[in-house]
Amino acid sequence: MLVLTRQVDEAIMIGDAVEVTVVEVRGGKVRLGIRAPAAVAVHRKEVYLAIQHANQEAAQVGPEVLRRLPAILPRPAAPPPASRKE
Amino acid sequence: MVMLKTTRFGEITVADDRVIVFEQGLLGFAGITRYALLDPPEGAGPFAWLQAVEPGSLAFLVCDPAPFVPDYRVGVRPEDLASLRMGDVSEGLVRVIVTVPKPPAPVTVNLLGPLVLNLRERLGRQLVLSDSGYGTRHPLMPAAPTSAPAGDGGR
Repeated sequence: MLVLTRQVDEAIMIGDAVEVTVVEVRGGKVRLGIRAPAAVAVHRKEVYLAIQHANQEAAQVGPEVLRRLPAILPRPAAPPPASRKE
Repeated sequence: MVMLKTTRFGEITVADDRVIVFEQGLLGFAGITRYALLDPPEGAGPFAWLQAVEPGSLAFLVCDPAPFVPDYRVGVRPEDLASLRMGDVSEGLVRVIVTVPKPPAPVTVNLLGPLVLNLRERLGRQLVLSDSGYGTRHPLMPAAPTSAPAGDGGR
């Protein structure tokens, strides 16, 4: 891993398009400003990992899950017509 | 028409204009950018499938959050709106991804990383609602009775 020392208001460039600036250092916390093209997603890593994990878990669903859904479907206030032929 | 060979639904065809491009993919599935939002199965209410064009093994169960989380707020950054070619989030369709664990664990939805779809431009994006307080495992409880039948809002 590349390690660089920077002071407040100094920045690093990642490629031509991504700029990371040290905005503030206080009490063990570093505030960073990130300028990046819209096509580059910037997230806190723990949030990124949480969503990635949730997506991977969600992708395991099979079509049979629909059987579990009626219990949580929104119920219309008015009951449907009672007559039903089998 | 696009022919999809899916593991869950067999071979299905969808109209070209039903294929939605997620330019960044979904988190954890970066290279997979083309999905089809399949019509909700009969009786599935606010649920639908987001099926990847390729691979056919990848699909997500998605859900309209409105009946379950009426006060859900999706704050979309201007950059995200621009990439979706939308002026306001109300022009798009918000869907959340459903996780169905083994019973008795509750069915949950991911409110932290919603999907916003612009069906007109056929663009989609998974947002990250940092600092929103929302989590990835919001239990999906039976929704309150709705006053009007099936207010799905069409498509």
